[in-house]
Amino acid sequence: MSTLPRVSSAIPGEEPSFGTALAHQPGLAGAFGMLYGTFWSKGALDHRTKEVTRMRNARVTDCGY
Amino acid sequence: MTWLNADEGSPPFDAALALRPELRELYAAFYGKLWDDELLPASLLELCRLRVAQLHDCASELAVRHAEAGVSDAQVAALPDWQSSELFDAQERAALQLAEKMPWQHHDLTDGEYAELQEHFGEAGVVALTIGVALFDANCRLRLVFGTEEAAVEAPAPASSQGPIY
Repeated sequence: MSTLPRVSSAIPGEEPSFGTALAHQPGLAGAFGMLYGTFWSKGALDHRTKEVTRMRNARVTDCGY
Repeated sequence: MTWLNADEGSPPFDAALALRPELRELYAAFYGKLWDDELLPASLLELCRLRVAQLHDCASELAVRHAEAGVSDAQVAALPDWQSSELFDAQERAALQLAEKMPWQHHDLTDGEYAELQEHFGEAGVVALTIGVALFDANCRLRLVFGTEEAAVEAPAPASSQGPIY
């Protein structure tokens, strides 16, 4: 596992992050944002359930980010 | 056999996703964009999609073939041994290394392997490829958890923003 960001920021002046990495592909980033944003803002599940499963998934995949 | 009560007239995976219509539309737009925008060669995406499906032993995903992608039956048969096969070029090998590790060994991708990806695809290309492999991985996980039934299909593309998700 790399300890440094492998993908540079595609947004001038911003530090490398998940969002600035996706910005290298604006079309895909926009489509992902629509899907992920809708998942969080609408739907049949309450926020607590979504957040608990998100955090658990991050632990299972050992994703410290 | 799936336990979801989905529309029987649609491809099984698409029918399951359509139980949440708004999310299904946005998922199709996201996944379809990967193929529609020709960000990477379709053959490369198809090889990675099938290798990820093999690693997951996902019959439902493996049953879908993208005929126009130009991947031969011989290449599909050789995918489990892509490291030693002569049927794949250097660019395909670099991409398949990512596909090999992302589902179950995502921490093991080395800086050297990543540098090779950048050499072949450039930074924007690597981002597109990584998103693609992540989506192939997610598709298999969704299909396996849903219990999506196998439905052999020759699809013009595995997904398009405008069509069904096979």
